[in-house]
Amino acid sequence: MPTKILVLGDGAAGTIISNKLRYLIRKENAEITVIGNSKYHYFKPDGIHIPLGMKDYQTSVKKPDYLFNYGIDYIKDTVTKIDVENRKVDVSSGREYTYDYLIIATGDRLVTDEFQNFDSEAHHFYSLEASLELGKELSKFNGGKIVVGPSSIPYQCPPAPYEFTFQLDRYLRRRGIRDKTELHYTFPLNRVFTMENVSERVQDLFDEKDIEYHTMFNLESIDADSKKLVSLEGDELDYDLLILVPPHKGQQVITDSGLADEQGYIDVDRHKLSYGNYDNVFVIGDATNLPISKAGATAHFESEYLAGKIASEVSGFVSEEFYDGSVACTTVTGDERAFTLYFSYERPPRAMYQSKLDFLLKWTSADTYFSAMLRGVM
Amino acid sequence: MESEVKPSKVVDARNTFCPGPLMELIKAYKAAKTDDIISLYSTDSGTKRDAPAWIKKSGNELVGVYDREGYFEIVMKKTK
Repeated sequence: MPTKILVLGDGAAGTIISNKLRYLIRKENAEITVIGNSKYHYFKPDGIHIPLGMKDYQTSVKKPDYLFNYGIDYIKDTVTKIDVENRKVDVSSGREYTYDYLIIATGDRLVTDEFQNFDSEAHHFYSLEASLELGKELSKFNGGKIVVGPSSIPYQCPPAPYEFTFQLDRYLRRRGIRDKTELHYTFPLNRVFTMENVSERVQDLFDEKDIEYHTMFNLESIDADSKKLVSLEGDELDYDLLILVPPHKGQQVITDSGLADEQGYIDVDRHKLSYGNYDNVFVIGDATNLPISKAGATAHFESEYLAGKIASEVSGFVSEEFYDGSVACTTVTGDERAFTLYFSYERPPRAMYQSKLDFLLKWTSADTYFSAMLRGVM
Repeated sequence: MESEVKPSKVVDARNTFCPGPLMELIKAYKAAKTDDIISLYSTDSGTKRDAPAWIKKSGNELVGVYDREGYFEIVMKKTK
């Protein structure tokens, strides 16, 4: 009997792990089924370019139906219950799926209603629709005070707010309205980014580009009448145009199935990526509550480990592999420059050098992503 | 030196860099209730300086900073 591998989620994590597993395991040895209901697969890193008119959004979007390798059963449905005790998953059409291995890759969701007035006041670039909407708003903007920052934590891709701020600075200069615009950036910590050495670099660039920053700013409320943000630390900041990363949460089905922490994420072993005492249930990508970046790059490295482990076990070997917390990300610093960071649980990020080549790596990453990374060949 | 209070929540952020220990502490703080005690484990020396600064600025109570074997522990009480 072939091993039954069930993957929940058709985003970056679910697609990469499925395709990698199909590469590694012969069809007669394992059935791979993916359940997901995404209308389209959006390459989210392009959200820093699309609102600024730098990229045509159509290059950043594909239909998920065409992204799975031959030999994968892709089921368009919504998971309603995950029962790890009895090894079964229910979906909204009424069917029930059983498994030998379960991989939960359900990601997270944007919950803008966590803040009153978020929807009426704030714009963002964390979904395709919102990026296009922000693009329209920016085209009408002719000067004033723009505030950019995360509204809550955790959120996908920690560098994205500063990357967008740098790109926005460039956009405003190109439009000739930078001198009529105050550009402000907020961050929850007492520096402008998570990692100290990166933060120092970003702060220098902010100073160079006349971008004002407000640290230890954790949003508490948005006052729509006076167009003002209030932080839980007691600071206030007014705005004319507000661009905030929306609050994130794990999927409701994770909470409904009794698998979630307070914010809807799943507690997993940081090296095995397994859930609880179950050696056949794994969680990858944004769905975990691991203290590492929520990013496609994380899902990619996690998949590298997990696909290898499951493939070994299906072949009858005992796998000694583990996930070492590896993440790599290329972050834009404006003016067609970027730098790439590599780090893991044990290895802090090293000094980084801005380069045009890194920017080109980022600029072309949608092509690399859809043609190779997502397909499981790298 | 031992902490004398039992934490309601322990945040183990040892050997993490991004988002990093202080971000994990703030995340736990937001999910916590008033009077909850949160304990943060970290191996990042910068957190020893940054976390107390944030706890003070946010108007909460720093219970203590303790050196452990190979890491340190910062304990806070959510007072707001």
